[in-house]
Amino acid sequence: MYKRTGWIGTATALLGVALSVLVLWMVFFWVPTEANQGVIQRIFYMHVPAAWVAFMAFGIVAFASAVYLWLGDERADMAAVAAAEGGIIFTGIVLLTGPLWGKIAWGTYWTWEPRLTLTLLLFFIYVGYFMVRAATENPEKGKRFAAVVGIVGALDIPLIHVSVLWFRSLHPEPVVLKAEGPTLDPDMLTTLLTGFLAFTVLFVGVLMLRYGLERAERELNLRQVTG
Amino acid sequence: MRRSMKLFGSTMVAIVTLAAAAAPLVAQAEELGQQTLGRAYWHVFLAYAIAWIFIFGWIISIARRLGRVEKSLGNLDG
Repeated sequence: MYKRTGWIGTATALLGVALSVLVLWMVFFWVPTEANQGVIQRIFYMHVPAAWVAFMAFGIVAFASAVYLWLGDERADMAAVAAAEGGIIFTGIVLLTGPLWGKIAWGTYWTWEPRLTLTLLLFFIYVGYFMVRAATENPEKGKRFAAVVGIVGALDIPLIHVSVLWFRSLHPEPVVLKAEGPTLDPDMLTTLLTGFLAFTVLFVGVLMLRYGLERAERELNLRQVTG
Repeated sequence: MRRSMKLFGSTMVAIVTLAAAAAPLVAQAEELGQQTLGRAYWHVFLAYAIAWIFIFGWIISIARRLGRVEKSLGNLDG
């Protein structure tokens, strides 16, 4: 089974890589330079899609964890583990690329403003997800505790989204998800949407590979235990 | 005529004096502008490099772990 998901995952990930190459071309050779921020605004086309993928990954963790707690289905737990690992990778990208923009735009790499602080908290919650799994002697109990962390942690995602609207924040406000529609130059919007598509397809492909790995690891453990 | 020539001369002297005083400032501003542009480019390249190192690192890590597990499963079968 994991071999079949491996082939589909590889093909999907390769499509994601091809789309990402297209995005790189658009970012460096096609899209116009933003008038106020200049060149540094080009980080936006990778930073925002990475944040979207991180939120999607943790959304999958929360949903799969809820299914696991409800039905006790091992496949849901495997999906949650695979998505949580990807979520940590993409949150790491967000947390490292944002400060590179901030140093030029704000004059500082980091400031303890609401959105940055809540995103860092999200990163630590899902690092905690893996720590909880590893910290219990009973693996089944560890899975259940981690599932609770996975669900509770996802509550941070809507808070991150509204933090720039509810609190006094330095972080730019949303330019796409707005009640009055996107307020972005059409070429910039096209580049951003292609970035969303590329990172989403890439993530789904690698997620399938990671799910296959989790399945293979559990099969190995089971066979080693049963002899 | 003489008065207007005098006025023109005074204006030119004032312009040249102001331009001479402003020249180093303009040069400094241009230099600072170039520095900022260069640094911004460097940060953009670094950001994209970090993203791709993370993504490819994750893919390579999965491939290596999967290879190890498949080898162990193969040993159990064999």
